[in-house]
Amino acid sequence: MINPVLEAIRTRRIVRAMTDRPIDRRQLEEILRAARWAPSAGNRRLHRFVAVQDPRTLRLLRMVAPGMFQRPAAAVAICIDRERAAGFGIRPTSKGLYIDVGTAAQTMLLAAHSLGLGSGVVTSFSQAAVSEVLNLPDRLSPEMLVCLGYADPVQLPAMRPRSTITWQSLTDWERFPPRR
Amino acid sequence: MAATMVLTEDEALELVAFLVTAARTQIDEAAEYGPLRLLTGARRLADFIIERVSPETRALLSGPLRQIPEMAVRTADPAGYAAAVDAVCRAVAEHLVDRFYRDRDAP
Repeated sequence: MINPVLEAIRTRRIVRAMTDRPIDRRQLEEILRAARWAPSAGNRRLHRFVAVQDPRTLRLLRMVAPGMFQRPAAAVAICIDRERAAGFGIRPTSKGLYIDVGTAAQTMLLAAHSLGLGSGVVTSFSQAAVSEVLNLPDRLSPEMLVCLGYADPVQLPAMRPRSTITWQSLTDWERFPPRR
Repeated sequence: MAATMVLTEDEALELVAFLVTAARTQIDEAAEYGPLRLLTGARRLADFIIERVSPETRALLSGPLRQIPEMAVRTADPAGYAAAVDAVCRAVAEHLVDRFYRDRDAP
């Protein structure tokens, strides 16, 4: 019997070419609902999501995000609430803040995949420009854009030739041998 | 002047925004993204102008400029990547020579 969660994890891919088919607002809400359940350090929830479906705003986001190859039907900006983080005494460079961006993003990607949508993450963008386009309050810093839409059957070739990556090649067990 | 333009103002602005923000992201990102972003910028410009240029320029934009995969980066094959970019540069230069000397050399 196939484990649907493991199957979703195994079959999800980053989608860099999307069709112009719009996605339903309810699908977007389902993805955001899933992200609400992403692991968060101390359950502090220091992140805010800004969901975008307006074509004009999406176009402007793409203009200031050089890493956005897609033309997404929707996008979610994952932001860190700097004021709330400071309120907990968390340094701006604390790794937990960024790890939580990743857990939220991965949860969104898997949720999108489960709904039959393609997704891709973008970190190559000007934070200053994205803040301006989204009119973000000063306390929010945009850290990642999650692009959503229907995958184009023709995808861009992968960035590098595929080498064989296995879980074993990524894993060491127990303690490393003594250093000489 | 308008008759000679191959970009609309919106298209030109999109390209300006791409180049300026790419300059910023490149401060933090892997060095191998530099050529990637410049080639992406060149492709976007090509996409904008391809229907409004001469057949010869169109051939350049739809041919040699597309030879390098959009997501290709140097580290996968440094020598091969450099050779591929060299080939595009050579094709651009050949087109420039053809275009800029053709009229002047004509009898």
